[in-house]
Amino acid sequence: MSRSFPKSFSSRPRLPLSLWADRGAGTLFLISTLVLVALIFSLIGFLAWRGAGAFIALPGNTDRVLSLREVFLGLDWSPTQDRFGVLPFIFGSFTVVGLSIALAGPLGVLTAVFVTQIAPRWMRAVMRQAMDLLVGIPSVVYGIFGLATLLPFLGDRWLDGQPSAGFLASALILTVMIVPTIVSLSMDAFEALPRSLDEGARALGSTTWQSIASVLIPAAWPRLVTAVVLGMGRAIGEAMAIQMVIGNNPQWISLMRDLTDRTPLLRFLFTPASTLTTELVQELPNTAAHSAWNNVLFALGLLLYLLTMGSILLTRRLSRRRA
Amino acid sequence: MPDSILIEPVMEAPLHPTDRARLRAENLRVAYGPKEVLKGVSLDIPANQVTAIIGPSGCGKSTFLKCFNRIHELSGPAKVTGRIELDGRDLMAMREVELRRRVGMVFQKPNPFPKSIYDNVAFGPRLFGVRGRSDLDGAVEDGLRKAALWDEVKDRLADSAQGLSGGQQQRLCIARALAVQPEVLLMDEPCSALDPIATARIEELLFDLKRELTIVIVTHNMQQAARASDRTAFLWLGELVEEGPTETIFTNPGKPMTEDYITGRFG
Repeated sequence: MSRSFPKSFSSRPRLPLSLWADRGAGTLFLISTLVLVALIFSLIGFLAWRGAGAFIALPGNTDRVLSLREVFLGLDWSPTQDRFGVLPFIFGSFTVVGLSIALAGPLGVLTAVFVTQIAPRWMRAVMRQAMDLLVGIPSVVYGIFGLATLLPFLGDRWLDGQPSAGFLASALILTVMIVPTIVSLSMDAFEALPRSLDEGARALGSTTWQSIASVLIPAAWPRLVTAVVLGMGRAIGEAMAIQMVIGNNPQWISLMRDLTDRTPLLRFLFTPASTLTTELVQELPNTAAHSAWNNVLFALGLLLYLLTMGSILLTRRLSRRRA
Repeated sequence: MPDSILIEPVMEAPLHPTDRARLRAENLRVAYGPKEVLKGVSLDIPANQVTAIIGPSGCGKSTFLKCFNRIHELSGPAKVTGRIELDGRDLMAMREVELRRRVGMVFQKPNPFPKSIYDNVAFGPRLFGVRGRSDLDGAVEDGLRKAALWDEVKDRLADSAQGLSGGQQQRLCIARALAVQPEVLLMDEPCSALDPIATARIEELLFDLKRELTIVIVTHNMQQAARASDRTAFLWLGELVEEGPTETIFTNPGKPMTEDYITGRFG
C-alpha cells in the first residue's frame, strides 16, 4: 500500500538562511549554558576562596589566621575580642530545622493522607491551589506575620508579655513556610499509588485507617521521605523570616544558662538565638573585607552551601532508590 | 429485661468447610448516580462449586461480584436495593470487617503489597489479631500451600513480593486471601493479565480450592468458564439472561442471546 506524505515533507533542499538560523540558535544555546555553568562555578569558587582565607594566609588578609578547631569547635562568638566560635550558629540552625521538620513532617504527611484518602474529591484541587499559593508568598511576609502576630501572642501566652523571640517562634514560622511543599509532594506520593493497593487491603477486611497505616503509608514511604527532605532543604536556607523572629543573639548558649528564673523548656524555646543564615544577614554587611571576621562569615556561607547541597544529594539518592 | 442483654455475635467462628455456605442475590439493583449498573439480578450461588459469571464488558458482572463483599462501596456512593445474602443473613447489614473475612477477593491485576512475600500473606491474619510467630508462620504456609505457591517461594519468604512473576503474584494474592480462611472466594477476571501457562495453573487451583470453599469467578474468557466452572451465569446490560450448569449453558443454552454470546457472535 502506498502512502502519500504531506507536501511539507518533500525532499526540497533546505534554504541556506534556515540552516544558518539553526546553527546560530545552537551556538546561542551553548553560550547561555556555558555562561550559567561558569556563573555557578565562580560563585562556589569565590565562596570557597574567601572562606578558606579564614584558615590559610592568603594575600590581602588583614588579620591573623584562625585554626579550624577554634572556629568549628568554639562556643564563644565575640569577633571584637578575637574569638570566633561558630558552634552556636550550627546548633541554632540544626535546632530550628529539626524542630520545624518535627512539626511540619507529620503535619504535612497527615494532611496529605486526609486530602487524598478521606476528604471528598473536590478538596484535592482546592488544597493544591492553596498550597501553591502559600509556596509563592515571599519569606519576608511570613517574617512580618511572625513579628507582628506570633511574637506578641507567644509572649502573652507564656512569658507574661516579655519578648518571646527564639527557637519556638522561628520553628513555627518555618513550619508554616515548608508545610505546603511537604503537603504538595506527599499528595503526589499518595496519588501515585495504584488504587488496587487500597482495594486489596480493604478486601482483606482493613478499615480505612488500617489500610492507610499498614499499606499506603509504607508504600509511599520513600517519596514521603523525599518530600520531607526537600522541605528541610528549604528550611536550612531560609534567612529573612527567621531573622525577624529569632532574636539574633550569638551568645544564646550562655544566656540560656543564665536565665535561671525560667523552666528549662521555656528557656530552650524562648531564648533569643542565632542561626547560620541569620548571622550572615545580620553581620556580613558590617565587616571589613578580608578581616578574620569577614572571612569566617564566608566560611559559614560555604558550610551553608554544603548543607543545602547535601540535602539535595540526599533527595536524589532517595528518589533513585525508589525507581 | 433479659432480652436487652442479648448482643449480636461480633464475629462468628469460621464455618466448617462442609457447611453449605452460599450466596444469594434477590432482585439486586445497583446504581451509581443516575446510571443503573444492575437492574434486578436474582441468582443463587451454591456452596463448594465454581460459579462463573460471563458477559460483555460493561454488563455489570464486576459490580455484581463486588457486591458480595461490598468492596463496590469504595468506588463511590452506590444505591443498592434488593437483597444480598450470605448463608441467609442480610449481607448489607453485616459488619464489613466480618463480611470481608468470610468473603475474600482476588482482583483483575495482581496487587501484592510492596512488602515481603511473608508479610503479604500474614497481612490478613495480623489484621485479625494473630500475633504469635508460630501461628503466623502456620497461616502463611497454609495460605501459600493452598495457592500452590509454597514450593516456589518457601526459601525466599523475606524477599519482596514485587520480584515475583505475574502469575506468581496472582497466586500470592490468592494465598493472601486464603490465609484468613474465608468461606467464599470472589475472583474478578483473575487471569486477564496472565499468560496461558499461569492461567492454567490458576484454573487447576480452582478444582482443589472448591473442596473447601465457594468460588465465584468473573471472566470474559468463555473457554475459561467452560473449563473451570460448574455453573455459569450470563449477564447482559445489567440483567441476568440465563444461568445453569456450565455444561447446559455451553451445549444447550435456553436463550438465543446466550448462544450468540458464547459462540462469539457478539461481545
